[in-house]
Amino acid sequence: MEALFQALLGGLILGLVYIAIAVGLTIIFGTLRLVNFAHGAFYAIGAYVGLVIAQNLGVGWAFVAAPIAVALFAVLLDRLVLRSFYDKAPTAQLLVTFGIALVVEESLRLIFGATTQQYKMPDALQGSATLGPITYPAYRLLFGAGVIVMLALLWLFIERTNYGLLVRAGIRDRIMVQLLGGNIRQASTVIFTLGAAVAGLVGAAATPIYGIDPATGFAFLVPSFVVVVVGGLGSFWGAVLGGLLIGELQSLTNLAYAPASQVVIYLCMALVLLFRPQGLLGESEVIRQS
Amino acid sequence: MMGPSNEAGPAARERGGVLARDLRFAALCAIGIALFPFILHPLGGYSTLATQIAIVSVASIGFNLLLGYAGTLSYGHAMFYGGGGYVAAILILRTMPDHPNVWLAVLGAMLVTMLIALLVGALTVRLYGIYFALLTLAFGQMVYFVVEQAKDWTNGDDGLQALPNAILPIGPWHIDLTAHLPSMNLGVFGDLGELRVWYVFAGIVLLLVLIFFRALTRSQFGEVLDAIRENEQRSTLIGFNAAAYRLAAFTISGALTGLAGALRALYDGSVPIDALSIDRSGSFVIYTVVGGVQTIFGPVAGTAVIMFLENVLSAKTPAWRLIEGLIFVSVIVFLPRGVFGILKRPEKNPRALFARSLRLPTEEPDPLLKPAAEGHRAGPMSIIETFKLGKFFGHFGAVRDVDFRVEPGELRAVIGPNGAGKTTFFNLISGTTAPTTGTIDYKGRDVSRTSGTARVHLGIAKAFQTASLYSDQTVRQNCRLAALARIQGPFALQVFRRSYRLDDVEAIAERAMARLELLEVADTRAGDLSHGDKKRLDIAIALATQPQVLLLDEPVAGMSKDEARKTEALIRKLSTEMTVLIIEHDMEMVMGLSDTITVLHQGTVLATGTPAEIRDNPKVQEAYLGGHSETELAHP
Amino acid sequence: MSAPAPSPSAVQTRLRVDAINTYYAESHVLRDVSLTIGAGETVALLGRNGVGKTTTLKSIVGWLKPRTGSVVLDGEELVGRDMMTIARMGISLVPEERRIFTNLTVAENLKIAQVTARKPGWTLDHVYEKFPRLRERLSHKGDEISGGEKQMLAIARALLQDVKVLLLDEPTEGLAPLIVREVENVVREIKATGITTLLVEQNLYSALAVADRCYIIDQGEIKFEGTPDQVRGDEELRRRYLHV
Repeated sequence: MEALFQALLGGLILGLVYIAIAVGLTIIFGTLRLVNFAHGAFYAIGAYVGLVIAQNLGVGWAFVAAPIAVALFAVLLDRLVLRSFYDKAPTAQLLVTFGIALVVEESLRLIFGATTQQYKMPDALQGSATLGPITYPAYRLLFGAGVIVMLALLWLFIERTNYGLLVRAGIRDRIMVQLLGGNIRQASTVIFTLGAAVAGLVGAAATPIYGIDPATGFAFLVPSFVVVVVGGLGSFWGAVLGGLLIGELQSLTNLAYAPASQVVIYLCMALVLLFRPQGLLGESEVIRQS
Repeated sequence: MMGPSNEAGPAARERGGVLARDLRFAALCAIGIALFPFILHPLGGYSTLATQIAIVSVASIGFNLLLGYAGTLSYGHAMFYGGGGYVAAILILRTMPDHPNVWLAVLGAMLVTMLIALLVGALTVRLYGIYFALLTLAFGQMVYFVVEQAKDWTNGDDGLQALPNAILPIGPWHIDLTAHLPSMNLGVFGDLGELRVWYVFAGIVLLLVLIFFRALTRSQFGEVLDAIRENEQRSTLIGFNAAAYRLAAFTISGALTGLAGALRALYDGSVPIDALSIDRSGSFVIYTVVGGVQTIFGPVAGTAVIMFLENVLSAKTPAWRLIEGLIFVSVIVFLPRGVFGILKRPEKNPRALFARSLRLPTEEPDPLLKPAAEGHRAGPMSIIETFKLGKFFGHFGAVRDVDFRVEPGELRAVIGPNGAGKTTFFNLISGTTAPTTGTIDYKGRDVSRTSGTARVHLGIAKAFQTASLYSDQTVRQNCRLAALARIQGPFALQVFRRSYRLDDVEAIAERAMARLELLEVADTRAGDLSHGDKKRLDIAIALATQPQVLLLDEPVAGMSKDEARKTEALIRKLSTEMTVLIIEHDMEMVMGLSDTITVLHQGTVLATGTPAEIRDNPKVQEAYLGGHSETELAHP
Repeated sequence: MSAPAPSPSAVQTRLRVDAINTYYAESHVLRDVSLTIGAGETVALLGRNGVGKTTTLKSIVGWLKPRTGSVVLDGEELVGRDMMTIARMGISLVPEERRIFTNLTVAENLKIAQVTARKPGWTLDHVYEKFPRLRERLSHKGDEISGGEKQMLAIARALLQDVKVLLLDEPTEGLAPLIVREVENVVREIKATGITTLLVEQNLYSALAVADRCYIIDQGEIKFEGTPDQVRGDEELRRRYLHV
């Protein structure tokens, strides 16, 4: 019983990481129609920046520096490379972002080496918390709560601010936004940067839990893509639902039959794609355009 | 009469020229493969690398069939590469540990990977872009998992090790592939004796695969695959089953990759679990893209360059993977043409050369162009009839309860204000959209559930509102594709035969071009045509499928007055031989051209009648003028 | 009902379209189209399906770029500027398909027009007064309202901004007769407030009832310029360019 609770909680935390990456993927696809295989690189860069800052300046600064550094990188990437691929075929986008992911991964390997690294949390966060029948590492709980708060803020930004309104309108009809005088290009850059920053922050924050090596970005990206596809490409709540589903599925399978925990998510995705290709909460019109 | 005898002269000459080119290609490949290890040697490559490159190139060529020619990115090809390796290794270890036979192992591996590809392909080929990539990745991961878990057979994470030396039985000889070639000092180019017999074998396999692949890309099959990649919508509506072609490409691709995997396992004497990994799948993407997709040698060159870097550069700098990644990205960003090869055609096209020697068709009725069925312009049977036909998008009824009947030979116009549902109605008849309610009969047979592709073969063809062409191909080639679909059917696995060997294809295409007065521009790229010529080419393509019912969606839209009148005259001529349905806004043309007019308004039939009847129908005037009668207008 | 049409020179010219030629790829859609709209005027552009009416509007707002010719708003050249800039200069297109953001509520559809406005136009209260049905639908999604309501919403979005020239593309298209009357009334009220309007219509009656002047376009060329009365009185003209 306790093991089950542990697994459920672990699945939740893992699912939240997936969601945080998937939300960026899905919003970027929704607004820019860009399939971004390099999104995992944002996670990895955030994690390494966080690692360096945490070890030198302190953990608090890491959480500030990581999203900012990743946001800068994202703006640069967008301006230099990705912009010319917005209107290209999805296969071209896949290839170029795959290539960028490769370059980032190898650069990180050169700089930081191939070994898995971690940084320690301050002692205050080292302990465990008792939660009903189980005890659980305090930092993980804090991390989970933090991601939820961040997702809530992101949701509020999208749903409740004027800027978010512009973004949502742009997801449906970029032309009409411009006919009303809206600056869709700027909004797109902002949302791309925001999605990247979120992935970077989560990368920094998740490192004490999962560690970081150069391949981690890609290793988190692929399940996050699964999450997006399962939930429905372009849908915020689809990403949330898909993330929880995939996180729990993976965690519970790990409990029941550990070797299958990696493959079960692919099985899940294959079933969804075969029977409901637009995803659980996706709209069928989106799939035609992708 | 056009008979085979007329064409024998130029055709035979042309075929002779093709044979010479084929031989030259084979000879060049053979020389290149023979020299390769000795070029590699002074660069710092060692002899095993040459063999490995030759083997892995075969997998890259297979991968390129999918990426370059079918146009879809698979991220799971390791399942075939590793799969082939495991099957070959298991076959040898389990069934012939004492007499390892390369033929049996390799054929078994190809068979199994082909079956896997057929199965996985059947589930994936209807998806595109990211969905196809992720689903193939998913299947790749599943195969990895199954293999890793079946420890009794596969040895789990450790992979299979220590395969016995492979023996290649040829007739009475049993060749040990691991034996060295006789020693011969070649100076800076190394020593012949460093090579094993393996290289000769792998080189021959690569040579055969190159020859096969070249033949395939020039065959009918390759031609259709190109067409589907370039314009799938058009391809399905001239009668090609796109999913079947893509599935065939996926299967061949899987089998070639499986062949390479099997050879590699036998060569290495082991197969690691990594052969099934995502990284392995990614490596084929890199090899192929760096070398250049849609080319025969690209994947080979890419494999050679990248594997060379991996093996030689990795000893010198830890940054070799970064260099590899930068090369990959640079190729995509700076040489997009190399990647998405727009510039590959027009080649010196044997088909075109041959075609030019054909005499122009005369005005006599052409026996090849079968006119509308028996009972032309007569008979009680309708050719197209719809009953309560409806199409709903959510709650919006684009077409509602349409009863519509056309007699054979009729020229029927469908008109109506914007948004009346005309194009949706045409899509329902051509089969690009499935009806929500009601049925469509074609010659008394219900075709509402028949695919658009199948309907083309029954005799319903369509020209699009916005001309749907193969922009990178010539006018002639555009028409030939439609004629090819007519002659060979929705799917044919013709991976060796070239379409110019089908005499009728050329004749039908020629005739269709003549009918639309396009012969002068026959060898112009379709994308370079004027707007009017593009619209007429679209009709010519539809015509080359030899339809009995021709659907024309706004055939003169955007044309100048002169062009429009010219096209109108051409359509009038066509209508003497087949049933024509036309959507058009040019009222002058509609009134002058059609036998009968059907007016659609807000998705329903408002009126049907002769042009005069329609002109005087008050309901029609209302629909066009917006709910007010002419009298009200004059006296407000 | 029909006031004497002021000649274009009598009022200050607000928008001048001067000999534009617009292409779709190779297709030459507009041939030397010229129009003049004075401040406060309501001008109708009439013609059958597919003759270039919508293309003219798209060429004005920067959706399509004319290859030659110019479009001038209060002395400023518009050709070469992008859609957003032109919209912010005060040209507001209510497109044929209405293009309501179907994933947003009615209230959000209105809000976004306010957010993107360079200067505010009507207040929300003013909008609700003129379009009482919208107030009842505020929390409905864009795809949950009727065609007539979508049209009202699309017009309301434009009016929430400081509009110098309102371009209406077939506002009555596809609507039931009763709703058509409602939209006609709205267009009349807009005219009464003095907003400069270019009205594209197939619905001849609607257009003639409200326009000060009209142009007739056919095959991408302007064939006629005159008053509604002239169009009413010339059956040959109507038969040639406007009827079935």
